[in-house]
Amino acid sequence: MSAKHALLGLLLDTPAYPYQLASRLEQRLGPSWEVNSGQLYQTVKTMERDGLIERVQGAGGGREDRHVFAITDDGAREFERWFQGSPDHVRLPRRPLLAKITFAGPERLAEALAKVDTYESECAARLAGVARLRDELTTDGPLVRAQELLLRLNLSTDVIQLEGELRWAAHARELLQWLAEGEAVWPSRHRQARSGERRHDRSGARKELFGRMARSAPSTAPAGDAQRGPDAPRGPKRVPGEDDASG
Amino acid sequence: MLLSLQAISKRRDDSATRMTLDDVTLQVGRGQVVGVFGRSGSGKTTLLQIAAGLAAPDSGAVSYDGQRLDRLSSTERLRLRRREIACVWGSRPPQRGLSVLDHVQLALLVDHRDRRDASRRAREALLACEAEHCERARLEEISDGERQRVEIARALTIEPKLLLADSPASNLSIVEQETIMRLLATLARDAKVAVLITAGDAQALIGADPVLYLSGGRIVDPHGTRQGGTLHRFPGRARLAAADG
Repeated sequence: MSAKHALLGLLLDTPAYPYQLASRLEQRLGPSWEVNSGQLYQTVKTMERDGLIERVQGAGGGREDRHVFAITDDGAREFERWFQGSPDHVRLPRRPLLAKITFAGPERLAEALAKVDTYESECAARLAGVARLRDELTTDGPLVRAQELLLRLNLSTDVIQLEGELRWAAHARELLQWLAEGEAVWPSRHRQARSGERRHDRSGARKELFGRMARSAPSTAPAGDAQRGPDAPRGPKRVPGEDDASG
Repeated sequence: MLLSLQAISKRRDDSATRMTLDDVTLQVGRGQVVGVFGRSGSGKTTLLQIAAGLAAPDSGAVSYDGQRLDRLSSTERLRLRRREIACVWGSRPPQRGLSVLDHVQLALLVDHRDRRDASRRAREALLACEAEHCERARLEEISDGERQRVEIARALTIEPKLLLADSPASNLSIVEQETIMRLLATLARDAKVAVLITAGDAQALIGADPVLYLSGGRIVDPHGTRQGGTLHRFPGRARLAAADG
């Protein structure tokens, strides 16, 4: 999303200079909301032009950085419209690294693994950074401030996502290693997967045992079963092998 | 449906208001693998205990094969667990010193089955579960993945109609997870067994359908939001919200 609605959210609390908006954005929402001043002034300019914010104090001609801005009635309505607006759908991003791995082929497995390692290191470093920020929050005073808790939520969101990325990296490495060990058939090569007598025995045993179980199970539940109450418990069922029971 | 849980609720032992399970409804038919995932403490194990007749719900109905499981006597429920409902409890520590084969055939021996037949069935189940190579090993000597396959083999010796498995694929490598989940899928498809399986994360539930998310004792409805709204689960906040309105 653009920073526009987040800025409106900040200005709902109190008017502010643009540089204050930049730092507050990060203080409230976490490091993923870092904006550079060029972007910020451009956004402020557009928002002022659209009548969402107005200058309430300050001097220095047309320069935005010398003025305190406040939200207008139109701005408050725009914030409300955005808040109530379209449902918040889940978005799954396309991942370039995943596409690279997918098309790496058997000859580039080692390189793909190295890329996963690099990605994992970066995630671990980012996680450590965000976790440090989260842990620095003081919420042990007599009053728990809502803003601190909400920042904690923002930071935890990053932590949880990065944890997910780390899990993904471990998962990807494991699969790639498995592929590298030659357990799979590649479409272009049709190399025979390892097979052997043991596999044959196992599937034979499975067929025998599971087939017997399927034969002993009725194909559909008898009609009227759903109405059978506790007053009419069914008698003991015959279990295969029961007749052999001798203690 | 072989197993049907209808609006099951269970309070936490230590609390009058907090729920371990809150209005949970789910069904498992023959040949189906239903997966339930959720964080530790979300109620997964309690759900399976209720499905196994090991715990009683505070409200709601549990039906197994057309009969109310929650109204059967404990003897009848025990008989079902020995003959038809098999459980795999993932987190139990292994009984040290016992050989894998002895462990697997134990379910049949306590049911007074013939010893020779029991060991034949145990070997067959171990082979079907790709764990025949550890037959002679002691339980504490085998890997976690092998251990889970051994537990499934043990469950299969009774040739159950319903298999309940508590996180059998958690904390395993993806290869092991896939082996176990493929085994359970084949079991459901070919042996027409109803399988209800839990996991800490959805990733482990390869091949289960549906995959349900259990959070705070509730199945999160994939087609909408939580029934009743989250606020009302905290009585204090509900009153506040009412006062605001």
